[in-house]
Amino acid sequence: MDELDPVIHASARLKITATLATLEVGDQIAFPRLQELLGMTAGNLSTHLRKLEDAGYVDVVKSHLGRSPVTYLALSRTGRRAFEDYREALRGLLGESA
Amino acid sequence: MDDNRTPAATDLDEPMGDPREMLALLEAQQRRVADAQIAPVVWLYFIWGVAWFVGFLALWSGDEDGNPWFTIPAGVATPLFIVLLVISIVSSAVIGVRINRGVRGVSSFSGAVYGLSWSVCGAAFGLLGTALISHGLSTDLANLYFPSGFALMCGTIYLGGAALWRDTSQLILGLVMLIVGAAAPFAGSPGNDLVFALAGGGAFLVTAAVMAVRLGRNR
Repeated sequence: MDELDPVIHASARLKITATLATLEVGDQIAFPRLQELLGMTAGNLSTHLRKLEDAGYVDVVKSHLGRSPVTYLALSRTGRRAFEDYREALRGLLGESA
Repeated sequence: MDDNRTPAATDLDEPMGDPREMLALLEAQQRRVADAQIAPVVWLYFIWGVAWFVGFLALWSGDEDGNPWFTIPAGVATPLFIVLLVISIVSSAVIGVRINRGVRGVSSFSGAVYGLSWSVCGAAFGLLGTALISHGLSTDLANLYFPSGFALMCGTIYLGGAALWRDTSQLILGLVMLIVGAAAPFAGSPGNDLVFALAGGGAFLVTAAVMAVRLGRNR
């Protein structure tokens, strides 16, 4: 693979996908917790999540915890594959075997 | 897609790093996530380490056949042990729930079963001891059974946790607990209390220290 996926190849979105990739397949993470793990502002995180969602990389589930709404996020199957391909592409470029 | 959304490749606020920087960023972020899950566990081990070390030393020193240097009143030693135990159990519940907070899905089941196994197994081992006492188990033998039952329970559950999360720290602690729990009764009572304090408490404290040093290095 010669081209790096432009959706992931931006530091904020790389950090987001890298974090979501640590979740087990079938798990979702609440927006505030994701924000805490990334140390990003809510606005910045939302903007980048929207781009990832538009690319079909992130699944967004709106839910409720008691009465307050909570947004849960996870990598889609496409997103997880894209992240793994991206990581392999980086390693390939650096001459490391995956 | 509307026109306001710039294609991802042309984010002006996101300078593109070279592959090496991006790979380093990726790995650093994943390490940060892993560390966020490890940090509370270090506290758990530390709290249990203090409880085992101080608590069992107190029990050993509360018995006139125990500590040769000084004796503390049994009326102090036993309550101190119980208080330390209760503090540790409450902190475990509070900290344990926080480790995976904000995450739901398939892993919730594993976490819930793991959390529940502590109270269920604790009750089962406790009940067995009570039954044995009601059928004439002497105080001396009960003093051998209860701490060992507790250690064997910890060891078994830690092995389960190690398998569940591929966690080396739980594997090591689990094996130590099983060995200590099975071997300590050979020292008799109250010698077994000293074994639990040094080997059990020591294992928790050393594990906590090693993990804390590693976390510090990652920062």
